Amino acid sequence: MKPLTEGNPQTGLSNKKNRFWSRAFQQRYLYMMSLPFVIWIFIFSYVPVWGWLTAFQNYKPKNGIFDQKWVGLDNFIELFQDERFYIVLRNTLAMSTMGLIISFTIPVIFALLLNEMRGQFFKRSVQTISYLPHFVSWVVVAGLVTKMLSTDGGAVNQLLMYLNIIETPIQFMAKGEWFWGIVTLSDLWKEMGWNSIIFLAAMSGIDPELYEASTVDGAGRFRKMWHITLPGIRTTFMVLFILSIGHLVSIGFEKQFLLGNPLVSDYSEVLDLYALKYGIQLSRYSYGTAIGIFNSVVSILLVFIANGIYKRVTKESII
Amino acid sequence: MKRKMQITLSLMLALVFVFITACGNSNNDGSTNKGTTNEATNSANEGAAAEPITIRLASGDVNANWDDMQSEVGKVIQEKTGITMKQEFPVGGSDEEMFALMVASDEYPDLVMPKGSAGKLVDAGALIDLRPIIEEYGPNIKKVYGEYFNRLRWSEDDDAIYILPSSGVGHTYFESGGGFQLQHQVLEAAGYPEIKTVQDYEAAIKAYIEKNPKTADGQPTIGLSLNGGEWQILISVTNPAFYATGAPDDGEFYVNQDTYESIMHYQRPEEREYFRWLNHMNDIGLLDKESFVQKYDQYKAKVASGRVLGLIDQDWDYADAQNALKAAGNFKATYARFPVTLNDTFQDHSFQGTGYVGGNGLGITKDAQDPVRLIKFLDYLASDEGQVLVNWGIEGKHYNIVDGKRVIPAEVQAQKSNDNNTFKKTTGIDNYLLSARYGDGVKDPSGNYYTTIFPEQIQVAYSEEDKKTLAKYNVTTYRDLWPAADAFPERKYGAAWTLPFETGSQANVIFQKSQDIMKKRIPEAILAKPADFDKVYDAFLKDLDDAGVAKLNAEFTKMVKDRVELWSK
Repeated sequence: MKPLTEGNPQTGLSNKKNRFWSRAFQQRYLYMMSLPFVIWIFIFSYVPVWGWLTAFQNYKPKNGIFDQKWVGLDNFIELFQDERFYIVLRNTLAMSTMGLIISFTIPVIFALLLNEMRGQFFKRSVQTISYLPHFVSWVVVAGLVTKMLSTDGGAVNQLLMYLNIIETPIQFMAKGEWFWGIVTLSDLWKEMGWNSIIFLAAMSGIDPELYEASTVDGAGRFRKMWHITLPGIRTTFMVLFILSIGHLVSIGFEKQFLLGNPLVSDYSEVLDLYALKYGIQLSRYSYGTAIGIFNSVVSILLVFIANGIYKRVTKESII
Repeated sequence: MKRKMQITLSLMLALVFVFITACGNSNNDGSTNKGTTNEATNSANEGAAAEPITIRLASGDVNANWDDMQSEVGKVIQEKTGITMKQEFPVGGSDEEMFALMVASDEYPDLVMPKGSAGKLVDAGALIDLRPIIEEYGPNIKKVYGEYFNRLRWSEDDDAIYILPSSGVGHTYFESGGGFQLQHQVLEAAGYPEIKTVQDYEAAIKAYIEKNPKTADGQPTIGLSLNGGEWQILISVTNPAFYATGAPDDGEFYVNQDTYESIMHYQRPEEREYFRWLNHMNDIGLLDKESFVQKYDQYKAKVASGRVLGLIDQDWDYADAQNALKAAGNFKATYARFPVTLNDTFQDHSFQGTGYVGGNGLGITKDAQDPVRLIKFLDYLASDEGQVLVNWGIEGKHYNIVDGKRVIPAEVQAQKSNDNNTFKKTTGIDNYLLSARYGDGVKDPSGNYYTTIFPEQIQVAYSEEDKKTLAKYNVTTYRDLWPAADAFPERKYGAAWTLPFETGSQANVIFQKSQDIMKKRIPEAILAKPADFDKVYDAFLKDLDDAGVAKLNAEFTKMVKDRVELWSK
């Protein structure tokens, strides 16, 4: 059998269009194989988008989607006029940006250090231990964190008191301005090991000859890290980074929901929680959908902006 | 060539599957029934009434002891009515999700017990109007609801009956689960003083904590802990403000009993003083600093450790923790309950009468094959015979008649108290409280109570510590410490917390906002320095005004007035 992708110079004579079709014909099996997946994506990711219509209606589940009252942009106007919306947007962006910065620096450093380790056994054990918390549910983690930071015999307060740093226990969970930090740090504790796995994998793919050559040139460990390892994982890093910028506004709400309490609600409420409370819980499906649309549009914009900047700087593009 | 054929064929097959699964569901769209179309076909089915049929019931409350009609009582019901019932419960999600999904798919079982989702189902046209079939086939149902029958109508504009409330009619409360709680050991140390006002309450805690700053195992004692970190802030922080200032619990609103003018209850100056007292408790260190931060499990763990002297809560909320204390034999650290008020000019209005308020219950859906048959089934359960069967069980087996009185034999009672789960599952008693029924304290024509809960029964459940404390206060139940139900006039609107907002309406949104503000500001005010209390509270009231609470109050006043008018017809 002939290789499926081989071009045929004889048929590609006339114009571009002809060439495309003849090529498509040659690769027909490849097209056929990918077709089910294209259809799959179309059905599950694009067909539901017609539900966005509800954002422009006063949707009531009793009637069908075309049998609703159309309200134009009312839902969006209400959304942008609600001052609560700007508070939750601020919280969302603040926490996700902090999370983004932390989760792309510490795990890389951690991976770099692990990568330099000689003892395979020790390296593997550290790696396994460090990613175990990833599998712990947020419910449990939130319980641990509140217990640790409790004023009623919490470990952190007891340690600080023992070291004479503070006089009386601090109410960590009651201070709104500390909430972002607490969320970011507990996220770091939970996900550091897991996030470093992919960087470690990228590092193991770097050609060892590069290291050997630099040893010959007299480079030390830090030189090698700086000039070989880091540039070696740059593409992986950037792909992940740009993709997670796309998720900046949709960070979910489990952490904030579980760690938050009424006292810190001005700092803990995020966009998804807002959509749940003021959209779905009140049966205002249209309002919830409007928030969802806002979310998607901002996410797409962010990804393109990030990619654009990256393209400018490095002359490469990942999408 | 043959291989090519094979590949092509299998790909085609795969595609066909994708299309079939994708298009399968689109058939149901648009053919929404209008809900009442089934009625016309009913009469045709009457002849076949005795035929055994199987029906489905979706219940929002998970009943782990559901017996699948295999219990003793279940079999009798099956025999008498010819109906076999299959129950479905929410699996892995909330009941709200279960019914939301039902609405979305537009497919319903015969019967539903939708709890808070009834409005959703009615809005979706899923429930049928029971009024005509009750009038014709449900004499017992009508008799049980009696004078309250017109309270079952859905709303001002819709006089249909969609839900048969399953709470007991004419219910008497023989026990009080609320109020302010104090440990028995605190009362004993203080010599069982009168606990009527917050000052009495505070003094008892203060005296005890000064003598016992630490428990026997060296942990610091906590004066008063509130369960304010989660939704129970309503139970443990804001509802007590009603009771302590002489108002009944009307949800989040205070309703003027003469004019029906309603305001958010935190707007009352009296309640500001109640929160000022909590602020004072915090200031002098008697209030648990973590009251508004702790999660429910932390709260329960603290209570179960026996070092929290006082609670302001409902017994169902702290029961788990108290059971742990009992299991550990630490009965001195379990709680007695008192009706405490801000000062002695107020009386606790917890039990101010509401008349029958209805509430959650059972509805018949538009997909039910034979609504008349179902109503007859429910009517049987509502008959005297049926009610005794579902509450007491089978004569000669679960109870005997001695001198005209129903008596539960000792060994049956022992199993009922000690292993209630198995008892429910094997006998089926309490598993069939589906239809209209009488509440505790109502007697049947033979002079016996319909239910198995009456004063003598409650005292059996008290511990020795409870009995000792109650004896010191010269009462037999905690309920006796509260003013009697007839001490106050009955509320004409029932209880205002049963009034539902129209889903997604502006009032509903303002209400949600007011709740968010309240949950943040009230803890802030309580934890503030006493000098700042007024500043924070004023800011709280201003936030409420800015959120449009005036509009909400006006809307709610109208709802209360409408209800009064509707029910007094």
